[in-house]
Amino acid sequence: MSLRNFAVAMTAGFLLSALTLLTPLNDTVLTEVTVTAPKESVSVGKIASPVTVVRSAELESGGIYRPNDLSFRIPGLHIPDYGASLTSSIYIRGLGSRMENPVIGLYIDGIPVLDKNAYDFDWEGIQSVTMLRGPQGTLYGRNAMGGVLSLSTLSPSSEARSSMFLEYGTANTCRVGLSFLNASNVFSATYRHGDGYFDNVFKGAPADPYDGLSLRWKWVKSASDRLFLTNVLSAGVCREGGFAYGRYEDGVLSPVSYNDEGGYRRLSAIEGLRLDYRTEEFVADAVASLQFLADDMRMDQDFTPASVFTLRQQQQSAAATVELNLRRADNAASWQPVTGFFAFYRHNAMSAPVVFKREGIENLILYNANANIPDEIGYLTISDAEMPVLSDFVLASWNAALFHESVFRSGDWQFTAGLRLDYEGGLMDYDCLTTLHYRFFPTMSADKACTVAYRGTADHFGLVLLPKLSALYEASDPLKLFVTVSRGYRAGGFNTQIFSDILQQMMMKTLMKDLGVYLERPSSGVEASASEYDPESAWNFETGLRYRKQSFSADASVYYMAVTNQQLTVFPPGQNTGRMMTNAGRSRSLGAETQLAWQPGDFHSRFSWAWCDARFVRYQDGNNDHAGNRVPYVPAHTLFLGAGYIFRFGGCSLAADASLAGCGPQWWNEGNTLDEPVHLFLDGRLALVFPQWEVYLGGGNLTDTRGHSFYFKSVGKEFFASVKPRIFTIGLSVKL
Amino acid sequence: MKTKYLIIAFAALALVGCSKEKDQEEAPKPEQATYVGTVTVVSNGSSFDNENIEVSFNPSESGDSCSLTIYQIRFVPQMPVTIDVTIPGVAVAVDGDKTVLSCDSVVPLAMGGEYPRYKVTDFKGEMVGDEMAFSLNFGSSPTSFRGTRKED
Repeated sequence: MSLRNFAVAMTAGFLLSALTLLTPLNDTVLTEVTVTAPKESVSVGKIASPVTVVRSAELESGGIYRPNDLSFRIPGLHIPDYGASLTSSIYIRGLGSRMENPVIGLYIDGIPVLDKNAYDFDWEGIQSVTMLRGPQGTLYGRNAMGGVLSLSTLSPSSEARSSMFLEYGTANTCRVGLSFLNASNVFSATYRHGDGYFDNVFKGAPADPYDGLSLRWKWVKSASDRLFLTNVLSAGVCREGGFAYGRYEDGVLSPVSYNDEGGYRRLSAIEGLRLDYRTEEFVADAVASLQFLADDMRMDQDFTPASVFTLRQQQQSAAATVELNLRRADNAASWQPVTGFFAFYRHNAMSAPVVFKREGIENLILYNANANIPDEIGYLTISDAEMPVLSDFVLASWNAALFHESVFRSGDWQFTAGLRLDYEGGLMDYDCLTTLHYRFFPTMSADKACTVAYRGTADHFGLVLLPKLSALYEASDPLKLFVTVSRGYRAGGFNTQIFSDILQQMMMKTLMKDLGVYLERPSSGVEASASEYDPESAWNFETGLRYRKQSFSADASVYYMAVTNQQLTVFPPGQNTGRMMTNAGRSRSLGAETQLAWQPGDFHSRFSWAWCDARFVRYQDGNNDHAGNRVPYVPAHTLFLGAGYIFRFGGCSLAADASLAGCGPQWWNEGNTLDEPVHLFLDGRLALVFPQWEVYLGGGNLTDTRGHSFYFKSVGKEFFASVKPRIFTIGLSVKL
Repeated sequence: MKTKYLIIAFAALALVGCSKEKDQEEAPKPEQATYVGTVTVVSNGSSFDNENIEVSFNPSESGDSCSLTIYQIRFVPQMPVTIDVTIPGVAVAVDGDKTVLSCDSVVPLAMGGEYPRYKVTDFKGEMVGDEMAFSLNFGSSPTSFRGTRKED
């Protein structure tokens, strides 16, 4: 599927919307009262930002059980599926990067998920997914500059019934899950096993097998007429392969083939307690959470059969959050204020040793050194079979914020003004050490040890102001128009993955100085100052409309975002081995997003489309000027076109769903020299539904469209991750 | 009176003796110092100047010998690297205001060990005041240095 199909899909989408407008809208009435955003004082329908809501029925019929699956269905949202569960790259509105801080905030039942490494997980028992698009900094603070994704899980009070399912599919993928509800508890669990979709031809084994278990227990209690308690305990464990990257050379993509271990293990848990206290005058909403994550990533960093270098990154992080919101109890009042306080502290102990293996020592270290030493002088040798670069970090980050947002209603108008003051800080203790044994021929008669240690502390802190102004006009009952100006920011941080390059650089300098040999043109290296990167911030100017009439809804918006210090994941020049976050000077995103939904009777459909032109305004990377170029990894378009119909036959029914979704074109590097064309993927599902159970057949990427989900360079070599191939599933779902 | 003159004479003699001893103790001993100047290398018939080269003068404990380390020298202009070269076992002799440096042929130290390719021969040198100058052959390359003591 490529550009032609994309055009066909776009046309079909617009035809669908035109057809919708010609159709009497007197069938099913869409309800929005059950959906709320975590902190807003007004209902989702009156928020002056674009909002997408995906309810449980659509999650089920769309086979959506991970955040990645929401890509394209939510306009502009692109969460490519590659790497491993810690990857969690998220792109929206020209923002996003694959490392460090996320570009959207993730909330589960109003509890923020702090660690991006925990953003990719399987869920079960989700009642609805709500995505607020655009910077939501005033209420949600750091890292909500692309939007906020809020998951509402099943509640004991909901009409849902206990259920369980069993699913089997391509690559021995087996999923099983259950949700059990009683008067005050909901217990959800889901387990997935998969052999993987890509083989590592070197090992003759799957590259990306997966085993994961997610558990959640939700307890809801009315302590009194005024006090409501909700406790949500979520935990997950996964063990998987990963990094199914194939070498791209001379226009040919080779299969995945690497020799060292690649995989990821994670144990995560979030315990959140929410207290709602209601009086006649105000509602106090207090949320506190404890979050824990321990993970272990092993990566063959050269991604080839050669023994060049490996990375093992282990983290144990613990965090605590606390938040208090106060708002008015009278929802009908013309002034709706929200005032709150938020704080968190996160502590992360990380160990990230990089081991240079023999071929890495030969090709990356010795080759570079000896290339600059004339033969008549001599040559350097290193006798070690492996050179470990030990890197231990203690990372701390904290934030404290005060915020207020007031919504004023006057006739058909609603005005919102808000301001948030964030105090943000971070600290890194680093302790890095490497040793090698070298000998210079012909002058040295024996090996000599050379040890380099690099220890120190870095920190940063500062204040951030996040204002918001918006106006919403109810032109008629179904039609609302809005305009919003808001600011968002993404926290800065530390480049832990670049320390092996810094150490390698220091080692070579120390060794050559010890030898008394000085290169006339030292290789371009990574300076220690590169270990920090700055916060990113953006101003968003947006206007849009929202139309709701019975079974039809339409949303459209256009935006302009001015981004300062855009965070990018880049590869240092030369033969460096790490990757790091850097700040581009300035960029801007210009875009439009639209979504249509129509659900007359047994028919339902959704059309989502986003266009984003994200370009650097000022970005000089030291070698090249990228001003005017597209921001890499950001698709210019995302599209989702889905429809379904329920055929009813007495005591049972047949539910048929199909969707066409994809994105593109997108550019893989800052220079825009390599791009990915538009790819669309056809998914489908057929379900035979009885009152107590259903059996279904599902298919993903039915046309087996080939494309790439990720591109990168490692030590000058290019690699691609391919999109998953055609997948079939069969499943049984039972309502208890 | 005689006794008085005798005591004065002994005292004067003792003082002279002490002074002579003190003079011997305070004979100037060469100190570690760094000189900055130009190293000129004649290679394949053409001469080549290395500007702003540091030479470290490192005397032995006794002061009668030293090593000279020439930092970041290039023997031909095309050399893509510079190297540190140490000339060990240079004899030091103080002659009035002049310190004379000399040695027989010696294998210099470079790149972690002996470097026979640039064996040092015909070494002659001296230090006068803040100036140092020496000449030698590094292998077949006549080399000379003239520099001024670098302030600490």
